[in-house]
Amino acid sequence: MKLISRRQWWMAIAARVLTLGTALAHHSTAEFDYTKQVTINGIVKEVQWTNPHSFIQLLVDGQPGEKIQWSVEIGSPSLNINLGWRKDSVKPGDRVTMNLSPARNGKPYGTLRVLTFADGKQLNGVAAQVRGSAPPPSTGTK
Amino acid sequence: MQQGSSRNWTVLILSGLLICIAGITAGMPATTVGAAAAGPDSLTGIWVPNAAPQQLVTVDGSLPPLNEAAAKVYAERSRLRQTGDTSFDQTTWCAGPGMPRILTMPYPFEIRRDGDFLAFIHGWYRWHRVVDLAGGAVDPPLPLTMGFPVGHWEGDTLVIRTVGLIDATVLDAAGMPHSEHMTLTERLRVLEDGRLEDRLRVEDPDTFTKPWESLLYFRRDAAARVTDDVCPDRIADGQPAVLGTRSPAASPLQKDAPAGVPSNTAAPAPQLSGMWEPKTFGFMVPEAPLSKAGSDMVDRGAAAMRDGKIMHTAWTSCRPGAISTMTMPREKILLLQSPEELTILFEMPRMTRRVRMNSTHPDNLESSYVGDSVGHWDGNTLVVDTLGFNGYAELDARGQPTSPRLHTVERMTPAADGSSLDIEVTITDPEYYDRPFTIKRNWKRSAARHPFEYDCMENPRAEDFENAYYVRDRYRPTCMRVEGEGVALSKVVCRR
Repeated sequence: MKLISRRQWWMAIAARVLTLGTALAHHSTAEFDYTKQVTINGIVKEVQWTNPHSFIQLLVDGQPGEKIQWSVEIGSPSLNINLGWRKDSVKPGDRVTMNLSPARNGKPYGTLRVLTFADGKQLNGVAAQVRGSAPPPSTGTK
Repeated sequence: MQQGSSRNWTVLILSGLLICIAGITAGMPATTVGAAAAGPDSLTGIWVPNAAPQQLVTVDGSLPPLNEAAAKVYAERSRLRQTGDTSFDQTTWCAGPGMPRILTMPYPFEIRRDGDFLAFIHGWYRWHRVVDLAGGAVDPPLPLTMGFPVGHWEGDTLVIRTVGLIDATVLDAAGMPHSEHMTLTERLRVLEDGRLEDRLRVEDPDTFTKPWESLLYFRRDAAARVTDDVCPDRIADGQPAVLGTRSPAASPLQKDAPAGVPSNTAAPAPQLSGMWEPKTFGFMVPEAPLSKAGSDMVDRGAAAMRDGKIMHTAWTSCRPGAISTMTMPREKILLLQSPEELTILFEMPRMTRRVRMNSTHPDNLESSYVGDSVGHWDGNTLVVDTLGFNGYAELDARGQPTSPRLHTVERMTPAADGSSLDIEVTITDPEYYDRPFTIKRNWKRSAARHPFEYDCMENPRAEDFENAYYVRDRYRPTCMRVEGEGVALSKVVCRR
């Protein structure tokens, strides 16, 4: 019998959640366009480490004097733990770069593929596992 | 000290004798005193709060010793509470109460034990917590609402130590804060007067200047029942998420349930007790014989999803029915088995199902999300018959519907070595399916000592509902998180 680590197990689950669409996610993932990528950089305003989905609210510079608040879905606590996250991995005030698959409705909303800290360290989001999506950016080290 | 102990024992024994004699002469059953407070099952049964305190105080009646920063948080919450704003308490929108908040709510709870698992089954929105009596070390991978409780017995006192408690919850309705470094130690015992005493010890150097203790009391009530409570329905009806007072009266569903009848199986029942996990996730029922009415509903959902809408079912609206646990096994389950009842605690979706053994359905069955389940052994197979569904549940992620005419028969067969459990479910629902059909799901033993938990109502994001298709109108949300403008933080707001 082939044994896999708990992390591998959860990675497999995460992949299935996304490749199977509505099947395992809390709701349909149709709201995101996984064939597209957007990269934003800003200051973390709030981390909602919550079920059914966790979110990071990111304040991104827009026009001069304007801050655009992005809502970025980052998975769920149990999935993220198994992707190497901890609840305090990202804290309000952190400057981060987020590569994400955007919402189809054009709003500042998306689902995380890869989060990169100022020092180059990275955390993967569940969306990076989606079959058929573009490969994640290779900048920085994990 | 030793001499004193010896003398104390003598006094205790004499006192016990006097109390027993007094009890007998007063016509009390002798088991009310003494025997009720002995043994590992002295705590089992249904308990109702003597007084559900809005505010926890120390044993001497003082405010807990908050540090300066926490005192400011608490003062602000007190101010908000006076204005009717309880948004600091996530039970306001039906999210997890946490510990010990749930013990301060005016709802009954039941303690059940099977082997070295002891479960608190709470009467508020399907919450339960599982205490590991094997006493192993815990290293919480992530904080949970109910934490990771581990218990052991010290004489007649059950000592439960809980770590890994998420800091989003409050200790009481008044908004007493805590951090994730809190250690909660409970000492539970049945007093001579029959009450259950829970002595809480809170150690949290991030929040309090020193450890402190508080006392909660509960009493038995023969009429009390822990029934399926679905908080989102309550707030959708304009009621508060936590009722101020809650009658412990039995629900019609259970009040009239027939008493057990003798089993016709002489051989000992196979052991299903313990933690199980699905061998594979089942999430689709691909060949259900949908009727025209059923097909129409599924087609409407599929069309909405093709249009890019998010489809909301009972599952995603945080009020799943028991049928979903049969067709879509997810995460771990804990089975607690006794000759009278099989209790199934589900991690995701969070739910408790009860199977009355060797019983029959009541005549005046009241419909519910979980239905009414009765079971009997057929050789090595437990047969569970369930009726009384309310029709608000879908079979799978495609939204295949069910009606109140739904009837399920589960056949649960453990492997000879007890390592796996096959469950075959035959589904009959003439409203939406042309004929009965059967699906099979497989489970295996889990080494886990604690289930995780799924707090479905924790973060109702507006985006989830902006472009939504609701399979049933009831699934529309009542509460939603509103993002703050600028630096203002988000807040969950419920409409009335």
